[in-house]
Amino acid sequence: MTTAQPGATAVKQAIQWMLRLRENGHDPALQHQCRQWRSARQEHEQAWQRVMHLHQDLDLRAIPGAGLALQTLETSQRRLQRRQALKLLGGVAMVGTATWLGKDLDAVNAWASDYATGTGERRSVALPDGSLMQLNTRSAVDLAFNDQQRLVRLKQGELMITCSPQHPLLVQTRDALLEGFEGRFVARQDSDCTQVSVSHGRVAIHRPGNGQLQWIESGQNWRLDAQGPHRLEQVDMDAMAWTDGLIVTRNMRLFDFLAQVSRYRHGYLGCSEDIADVRLSGVFRLEDPEKLLQLLPRTLPVRLRQRTRWWVRVEGLV
Amino acid sequence: MPSNDSVQTLYSDHHGWLHAWLRSKLGNAADAADLAQDTFVRLLQRREHLQLNTPRAFLRTVARGLVIDHWRREELHRAYLEALAQVPEAQAPSAETRELLLELLERIARMLDGLKPKVRRAFLLAQCEGLKHQAIADQMGISVRTVERYIADALYHCYLLRYADEC
Repeated sequence: MTTAQPGATAVKQAIQWMLRLRENGHDPALQHQCRQWRSARQEHEQAWQRVMHLHQDLDLRAIPGAGLALQTLETSQRRLQRRQALKLLGGVAMVGTATWLGKDLDAVNAWASDYATGTGERRSVALPDGSLMQLNTRSAVDLAFNDQQRLVRLKQGELMITCSPQHPLLVQTRDALLEGFEGRFVARQDSDCTQVSVSHGRVAIHRPGNGQLQWIESGQNWRLDAQGPHRLEQVDMDAMAWTDGLIVTRNMRLFDFLAQVSRYRHGYLGCSEDIADVRLSGVFRLEDPEKLLQLLPRTLPVRLRQRTRWWVRVEGLV
Repeated sequence: MPSNDSVQTLYSDHHGWLHAWLRSKLGNAADAADLAQDTFVRLLQRREHLQLNTPRAFLRTVARGLVIDHWRREELHRAYLEALAQVPEAQAPSAETRELLLELLERIARMLDGLKPKVRRAFLLAQCEGLKHQAIADQMGISVRTVERYIADALYHCYLLRYADEC
C-alpha cells in the first residue's frame, strides 16, 4: 500500500457515522453533516470507504434465506466453544468448564462419562472407527475402543449410531448388548426398558446368558425389557425425528407426549388425569419447549396452568 | 519465507506425531490426514522464519487453529441444517444460496471470534435481523447507548481484522 492508513480515530468516527445513518437514514441534515465530515479530510473519506465495504461484507440481510443466519451462528458458536473447551484445553481449564457446563447437566454420572449432553442439548460425535454417534438430551456414554472391540456404553438417555460400513459396532444398554451392522439405528434407555429402532441396515440383540441372536431389521421398532425383546407393531412417535430437532407423533397419548417433552426441559411437566388419553398427531419443534407447550391449547381442548417457569401442568378446559 | 528444507525436515520428523495428535482431537483419520497436510502447507506459506526450538509446540499451535476452523465449519453446517429443518421446504433456499450463505457465515464467525458474547449478539441482531438499536436494547435488556457501543466495538474489531494485512 502506498497511501497511508486511516488512523484509529478516523475509522471509529466513520463507524459512528455509518451507524447513525443506518438508524436514521432519511434525515437530510444528518446526511449533509456526514458528507461534510467525509470531505473535511482525505483520511475521513478513506476510512468511510473502508467501513462501507466492511459493512457490505457483513450484511446478511441481502441474502435470501439469511433469516436462519442468527440462529446458525449462535448455535454453532456455543457448540464450538464447548468443543474447544472439552478437547483442546488442558486439565486445569477443564475444571472451569465442568462447573460452567454443570448447571445444565442432569446427572452426576454424566461427569464421569466420555460424552454427555445436558437438558435440551444434542450433540454429534465422530467415533474413532468412522461411525457417527448422535446423542440426544440428557444422555451419557462411555467409549471402549481397542483392537478387539468397538463398544459404546449407553449409561443414560438416547443415541443414534450411523455405522461405518467396514466395522460392526457394539452398544451396551442396561437391557441388552446390541450390535449394529452397516446402517443406522436409535437406542433409547427408558426407566424400565430400552427401545431400539432401525432405519436401515440391521441390528443384532445379544442377550446375557443366551447365545441366540435376535435380529432387528430395518424399519422395525423393538422394546427390550426384563421380559425379553419384543417387536412393537405400531409406534406413536418417530424414533429418529429428534436428530432433526423434532418430535413427530401419530395418535400419541397426551400423557406420553408430555413425558417426551419433559426430557427436553427443566422442571415439572404433567397433565391432569381427565386429558391424559387425549390423542395428539403432529410435528413439533424441540428448540423451544416452552413455545411448543404454548401451541397445545390452540389445537387441543386444554389449557396450561403455570405456577412458575419450572412447574407446568396441562389441564382440561372444563 | 521458511526454506523448504526446514519444512521438509519438520515434515519427516513430526508428521506422524502430528497426525496422531490431530486424530485424537478429531476422532477421524481422514480429517486428521487433511489437517496435518494443511498444517504443513500453512507453514510453507508463512512469511517469517520458523521458530524451531520447540517444533512440536509450534506445529500444535498451527494445527490447533486449523482444528478450530474445521470444527467451526462442521458446527455451522450442522446448526444450519438444523435451522433449515424448521423451514417449510418451499421456502428453503436453493443449494447455491446455501453454499453462499454458509461461506459468508463462516467468514463472519471467524471475524467475530474473540468478541464478548453480548457484543457479538448485539452486532448479529443488527446485521442478521436488521433490528434497530432500540429493539436490540429491549430484547437484551440493556441501554441503547450500550447497544451502540457494542455494535461500534464489533465493527471496529472486524475492521482491524479485515484490513490487518494492509496496515
